[in-house]
Amino acid sequence: MRQWWSKVARALARRRDLANELQQEMDAHLQFLIDKNRERGMGPEEARAAAQREFGNRTLVHERSYQSWQFPAFESVLQDLRYAARGIWRARVFSLIVILTLAVGIGANTAIFSAVYAVLLKPLPFPSGERLLWLGESSAKASGISVTWVNFDHWRKENRSFESMAGFEKADLTLTGRGQAVLTHAGVVTNEFLPLTGSRPIMGRLFTASDDEPQSAATVVVTSAFWAKTLSADPQIVGKTITLNGTAYIVIGVLARDPCFFLQPIDYYLPLRPTPAQASNRDAHGDMRVLGLLKSGVTLSQARSDLDTILQRLALADPGPEDDHRAFAEFLTEQRTGDLSHVFVLLMASVCLVLILACANIGGLLLIRMTTRARELAIRTAIGAGRSRIARQLLTETVLISLLGGAFGVLLADFGLRAIEVLGPPDIPRLSEASLNLPVLIFAVALTLAVGLVCSLVPLVSSNKVNLILLLKESSTGGGASRIGHALRGGLVIAEIAAAVILLFTSGILLRSLWAAENLNPGFEPGHLLALELQLPPLPYKSEGSILDFYRRLEAALRARPGVESVGAVNCPPAAGDCGDWWYSVVERPTPSREDVPVTMVNMADPAYLRTMRIPLLAGRALSDRDQAGRPAVAVINEEIARAWWKDARSAVGQHIELGGPYMKGPVIEIVGVVANVTQIGLDSPPLPEIDLPAAQRVDAAMVVMIRTRGNPESMMATVRQTLASIDGNVPIQSLKTADMWLGATLVQRRFTTLLLVLFAGIAVILASIGCYGVFNYWVSCRRQEIAIRMAMGAGTIAILRSAGRQAARIGALGLVAGLAGSWAASRWLSSLVFGVSAHDATVLTLTAMTAFLVVALSAAIPLWRATQIDPIETLHEA
Amino acid sequence: MLILRSLKLEANHAYGISQFLQQQSDSEFLVDNGSLYPALQRLLQREWISAQWKVSPNGRRARYYSLTPAGHKQLVKATSKWERFALAMARILAPEG
Repeated sequence: MRQWWSKVARALARRRDLANELQQEMDAHLQFLIDKNRERGMGPEEARAAAQREFGNRTLVHERSYQSWQFPAFESVLQDLRYAARGIWRARVFSLIVILTLAVGIGANTAIFSAVYAVLLKPLPFPSGERLLWLGESSAKASGISVTWVNFDHWRKENRSFESMAGFEKADLTLTGRGQAVLTHAGVVTNEFLPLTGSRPIMGRLFTASDDEPQSAATVVVTSAFWAKTLSADPQIVGKTITLNGTAYIVIGVLARDPCFFLQPIDYYLPLRPTPAQASNRDAHGDMRVLGLLKSGVTLSQARSDLDTILQRLALADPGPEDDHRAFAEFLTEQRTGDLSHVFVLLMASVCLVLILACANIGGLLLIRMTTRARELAIRTAIGAGRSRIARQLLTETVLISLLGGAFGVLLADFGLRAIEVLGPPDIPRLSEASLNLPVLIFAVALTLAVGLVCSLVPLVSSNKVNLILLLKESSTGGGASRIGHALRGGLVIAEIAAAVILLFTSGILLRSLWAAENLNPGFEPGHLLALELQLPPLPYKSEGSILDFYRRLEAALRARPGVESVGAVNCPPAAGDCGDWWYSVVERPTPSREDVPVTMVNMADPAYLRTMRIPLLAGRALSDRDQAGRPAVAVINEEIARAWWKDARSAVGQHIELGGPYMKGPVIEIVGVVANVTQIGLDSPPLPEIDLPAAQRVDAAMVVMIRTRGNPESMMATVRQTLASIDGNVPIQSLKTADMWLGATLVQRRFTTLLLVLFAGIAVILASIGCYGVFNYWVSCRRQEIAIRMAMGAGTIAILRSAGRQAARIGALGLVAGLAGSWAASRWLSSLVFGVSAHDATVLTLTAMTAFLVVALSAAIPLWRATQIDPIETLHEA
Repeated sequence: MLILRSLKLEANHAYGISQFLQQQSDSEFLVDNGSLYPALQRLLQREWISAQWKVSPNGRRARYYSLTPAGHKQLVKATSKWERFALAMARILAPEG
C-alpha cells in the first residue's frame, strides 16, 4: 500500500523532476566513462563515442527506469485515449457523422425509454404496488364490470389470498357555502383504501370501519391541496364541516399527499357506504371496483379462483340472475397501462430499429475507414504492436466516439422529453413524470457502451482476416477490400434498407389511419359549434321541473343573443365517450336468451339538439316539444341499431324497445325516428348502437348545451358565460369548448404516436441513404482499376453502369424483400392501431417500396456517375 | 541483492556500482545499464536505498546511493536466503563421494 502510494505521489508530483534527475544521473555516468577512456589515452571524440557504446541504448534505459514509476496499464489506456482523440480529430467529418448518427439513435432511444419507464416500468407510488390487484366482476358479455356491495363484503371477509381489500369509486359533488359553488371531485372509498395506497394524515385521522356504517355521521378526509386552496389552509379544520351536494360533512383529517390513484385530481375522500338496496341485493351494481393487496407468494390465478369459490358459494346459498358472474382480477400496473403498453412497445421497437440502423451505418463507416487505415495498422503491426494492442486501440477509439455520441444523445433526449411534455397526450398516466432519472441514464450509458462494442467488433472481425504481408506489398486501395469485407458491408446495407422499409411501412399505415380518422364524417357538422358542459348543483335544482326550467330558460336566453343560430342540449355529446350502457330488447322480436341480451348506449337530448348538430334524420321524426313527461315514451335510435334489427330505417319506426332487456323491469319505448350514426367514443372508433331519449322524459342535471354560432365560435365564449351568469351565477361551468376541440382531443394520442413514428421513419430513411451511399461509393473506389481496364478495353458507359448498377440493384432488392417481409410480420402487431385501412394496405406497401427504391437509386446515383467518369489512362498510371 | 551488497560498505553512484560489481566478480558479471537503472529505481521505491547528489573524489557531481536501515535488513535476509540456496545447490552439484 505504501509502495503504491509513494508511486502515486511521485508519479503525480514529481514525474518531470524524476525524468530530469535520471537524465542528469546518466549524464554523470557517461562522464565517468568518458573520463576513464580519456585516462586510457583516447581523444575527446573517441572517448565520448566509446563511452556511449559502452553505456548502451540511453533512451531504452531511460524508458525502462521511467516505467518503474508509472502504472503501465493505466498509462497505456491514457495513451490509447490520446491516440483515439487524435484519430477522431484527424478524421473530423467522419467523426462528426458518426457522433451525430449515434446522438440521434441514442437520443431517440433514451427519450422513448424514459417515457416507457415512467409510464410502464416505474413502480406505482404505493407500498407493495406490485402486489396490488384491480378487481371487478365478469359476466359472459363483459369483464371488469362493477362489484356489488354484497359480493365485495363476502370477498373482503372470506378470502384467503389478500392482505387487505378496499372498494372505491369516483363521484363529483358541488361544494357550496364557500364563495361560488364549485364542482369538486371525490374518491369514494372504504376504510381500507387510504392505508392501502400508503396515505398518511398530516392532521386528524383517516377513515375507520365505523365510517363505513350507513348510520354514522357524514365524514370527509380532504387532500392537502384542497385544504390549502379551497379551505384556505385552516389549521383548525378538523371537526369543522363542509357542505357537499347540500349535506354537511365533518372534516376528520387532511392527507399529507394525494395518493394519485384516480389519475385525476381528487379534492377529498368520502366513505363508501352501500345503499339499503345494495346492502341486501347481490346483483345491485353501482360503480364500485375493488383494490386488493395480494399476500406475498399468492399468484394472480390463485387469487382469482379463491374469489370465484366465494362467488359460487354465494350463488348456491342465494340464487339470482348473476350466478354466472366471476371475479375479474388484473395487476394494477397492467390495468393502468392496458392498451398503452402496445403503443409504447411499438414506439420502443421502432426506435430500436433506428438505433440498429445507426449502428449498421457506423459499422459500415468504420469498416470503410478501417480499410483506408489498413496500411497504417499494418505498419504498426510490423514495428511490433501486438494484435491485442491494436485491437484495444481500435476499441478505445470506437468506444470514445460512441461515448461522445451518447453524451450528445442524452442532450437530445432532454430536448425530446421537453417536446413530449408539450406535445404529448395529456391522458397518458404518468407520462409527464418522464425525466432523465438514474435508471434512464444507466440505460443510456449501457446502450452507448453496447453500441460502441458492437460497432468496434465489425472492423475487428474483418481486421483479423487481413494478411499483413500482402497488405504492405499491395497498393493502398486494395487493402482490406476482401470478399468478406464486401459481404459484411453489403449485409449491413441490406439490414439498413430493411429496417427503413419496416419503419416507412409502419408510419405509412399509421398516417393513413390518422388521415382516415381525421376525415371521418363525425355524423354532424362540427364547425361553428360551441359545447357548454354544465352540472346543476342539487340545490336548488332538486326537482326535475326546476332542472328542465333552467335549461329551457338558458337556451332561450342564448338563442336571443346575436350571432347564435340555434341551441340544443344533450346529456352525452359526440366524442365524450361512453356515458352509460343499457341492456335492451326489441319487443316485436323473439326474446333473446339471458347471455345474448344486446347492449346500447343511452343518451338524452332535447328537441332542438338534432337540428343544432345537423345530424341527418333518416326516417320517422325527430324528438319534439310534444314529448313531455307523462306523454307516451318515445326514442330516436341510430342507424347502427336500425341496421342490426331491420332491413331499412323506415321499418324501425313504430316498433318498440324495452330498456333493460327482457329480464329486468324497464320502460317500453316507441321508436319514432332513425338518425345517422354519430362518433361517440372518438374519431378513431367504430360506430356503436345508441338510443336518444327526450330530455324531458328522462331528466338529468348534467347536460352539454350545444350552441351553433354564425361567426367564429371562440369569439362567442364570453357571451355564453355572461348569459349563463345572468340566469344563475351559482352554476359552475364544467367546460366550454368548441366541438372541434372535443373531436380533436380524441385523436391526440394517435397524432402523437404517428408523429413520432413518421419522425423515426424519416431518420431511418436518411440513415439508410447515407449507408447506401457510403457503401456504393466505396465499392466504386475499390474497383477503379478494374473499371479503368474495362474502359480501356472498350467498354462503354452503359456497360460500366450495368455492372455497377447490378450490385446496387441486388442489395436494394434484397433489402426491400427483407423489409417487406418484416413489415408483413409487423402489421399483424399493428392491427390494434390501424383504423379505416387494412393492416396490409396495398397503397402503403406500394408507396413504401417505391420510396425505398428511390432512396437506393438516389444514393447509388452519385457513385455510379463517378464510376463512369473514371479516366482509364490516369487510373492505370496510378497503379 | 548485489546492488545492496555493493552499497554495504559505502555509498556509491551508478557508475561506481557497475564498476564494483564487475571487479568483485572478476568481470564474470557485466552489468547492463538497461537493467541497473530500473533496478535502482525499484530499490528506491521500496525505500531500501536512498539517493542524494554529491561531488565525487574526481570532482564530478554524481548521485550517490546508500543503504537505508530497511535495505540493511533486506540485505541480511536476502543473503541468508541466498546462502541457503547456494549451499543446497552446491550439495546437489557436488561430486559424489
